[in-house]
Amino acid sequence: MSTATESDLSISQLVDRPWVAIVWDDPVNLMSYVTYVFIKLFGFSQEKAHELMMKVHNEGKAVVSSGSREEMERDVQRLHENGLWATLQRDDKI
Amino acid sequence: MSNFVKEDSGVTLFVTQTEAQILINLVEQLLELLGEGDFFHHYDTNDPLAQMLTVPTEIAAPEDPVLKRLLPNAYSDPEAASDFRRFTEPEIRGNKQRILRRVRQQLSIIVDYSIDTGVENSSDFGIDSITGIDPDIWLLALNDLRLALGVRLDVDSESYEKFDLLPDEDPIKPTFAVYFWLGWLQENLLSVLG
Repeated sequence: MSTATESDLSISQLVDRPWVAIVWDDPVNLMSYVTYVFIKLFGFSQEKAHELMMKVHNEGKAVVSSGSREEMERDVQRLHENGLWATLQRDDKI
Repeated sequence: MSNFVKEDSGVTLFVTQTEAQILINLVEQLLELLGEGDFFHHYDTNDPLAQMLTVPTEIAAPEDPVLKRLLPNAYSDPEAASDFRRFTEPEIRGNKQRILRRVRQQLSIIVDYSIDTGVENSSDFGIDSITGIDPDIWLLALNDLRLALGVRLDVDSESYEKFDLLPDEDPIKPTFAVYFWLGWLQENLLSVLG
């Protein structure tokens, strides 16, 4: 019954982690501050936070977290409170 | 020149009278723009207790570009964005105000309103210090002030070069100088935290 298991898994992925929070590049926020916020809000290592910040800087945006819609709304609210420009949407990769 | 120093007792800000006055003025302006806790017009009722217990029926996206940047849309879809705003904006605004008020209160300890320093002669008044700086709160406040000034100055990635080329008599130059100074101050505080 492996097919059933796989389809169960994808359904559970769709239900559990279908939304992403995205941080967008802006010309004002300092690179060091964005890294600091990522560590503060998401508990990332310095290395991971720096890497994500560089992705925002170089590519114009980066997905910083994923989860349920409610979780992503909470993350986006915290990002706004910290002055980062963030949005949420359905993860189009799924 | 102002800077943050980490001491055994915590973080201290050393700042001139002029710099403290510039900071407190910017904080006042942003507090005013954020509405200083006055959010009543978004609610159906004037009863503060009822407001605490209810969600406003609708909050339109702000028109002021600074508020648009501080309270951006969370969704590209207007209806979802409006719904998100309805449930979160009062809290986000409230938190931003609380942080700015804390910074204003700490600055007000040293700001001497009887002195009209003018911007040119700050060194005449020596350096004051504010102990007990909460780095998280000051970083948030400095960042919101920079975002506000950045929007007003239409800052982009080439702004530093443009600022360098501005003639000294250009009326926008002092504001740019304040903007870059705030960036230096924020970077300084981040480096103190290590």
